[in-house]
Amino acid sequence: MAYSEKLLDHYENPRNIGSLDKDAEDVGTGLVGAPACGDVMKLQIKVSADGLIEDAKFKTFGCGSAIASSSLVTEWVKGKTLEEAGTIKNTDIARHLALPPVKIHCSVLAEDAIKAAIADFRAKAEKKQAQDVESKTDERIAAAE
Amino acid sequence: MTLSGTAATACKTAATCWSCGAATDLAPFCGACGVVQPPGQSDHFARLGLEPRFDVDLQGLDRRYFELQRQLHPDRFARKSPREKAISQQQAAALNEAYEVLKTPLRRARYLARQLGVDLPDEGRTIDDPDLLMEAMEKREALAAASGPQAIEVLAREAAAERAALLQNLSPLFAAVDRRGVRAAILRLAYLDKFAEEARARRFNAGTASR
Repeated sequence: MAYSEKLLDHYENPRNIGSLDKDAEDVGTGLVGAPACGDVMKLQIKVSADGLIEDAKFKTFGCGSAIASSSLVTEWVKGKTLEEAGTIKNTDIARHLALPPVKIHCSVLAEDAIKAAIADFRAKAEKKQAQDVESKTDERIAAAE
Repeated sequence: MTLSGTAATACKTAATCWSCGAATDLAPFCGACGVVQPPGQSDHFARLGLEPRFDVDLQGLDRRYFELQRQLHPDRFARKSPREKAISQQQAAALNEAYEVLKTPLRRARYLARQLGVDLPDEGRTIDDPDLLMEAMEKREALAAASGPQAIEVLAREAAAERAALLQNLSPLFAAVDRRGVRAAILRLAYLDKFAEEARARRFNAGTASR
């Protein structure tokens, strides 16, 4: 099977390998896995105060196509808004890397990973907002009393 | 009529012997005339004469497999008709497939689970068990960070022990038709199998690097 030049490049020189602090407020973590082959993929994004993805990291234990797919996604999402990053489709990834049909599921996994990372960040942000409102309300009640 | 045409027709009428017309069961050979029969859509377990359950007698499986394989060996069909040769090859292929599935715990579990209507996630969609994913990620990170053959060996042994325990647990889950439990165990088994494979590769690489 012949792999594309782009795929080999991402596999041999993966971009943005590493981890961000998963407990940090401005970090969203997506952890996904393929049930059939046992691959695991972690994709993390760091979101700035104005809602832009300023950093992205990944760690993938899997085949070359899974590594290349997640590497490509970290490259693509940097500088994007969450909405923009959320529109990345597995078909875009598969087309860009010219994945062979048997490896399409690796690009699906990468799409799932970025979606999960965005969802994790949003859930954290909402929780923080709710806590802020709660503590402010508590302050007001305390002030009124 | 072409050869493939006759073989296909024979497949559909597997209830009676294509050669002598006698009623046939699931056996690869006609009980009346002894002529080889098409494989049909038999269950993998039935093909190897086993009860459809997770606990299989692996020695019995091997014995039955090699016995059937001998009976279906191409040498035995050297002087037979082209049709018998073709059918015996179909039988051998079906037998090999059944054996491969039943002998491998993960494949056997998946096969049995599908028969029980367990909803196994398809390839491509992520698995929906965050704890398992977290654990799998941590273990794979630990394996990647393991510095030498000994450290790798420790991790591999831990995973092997967990796998053995999981396999023991699967039998009662299947027996109780606990679909949720079976599903969770199969997902975990896939990760443990993958871990074992990676640990073997790491051990091999560590071994060659230190030479």
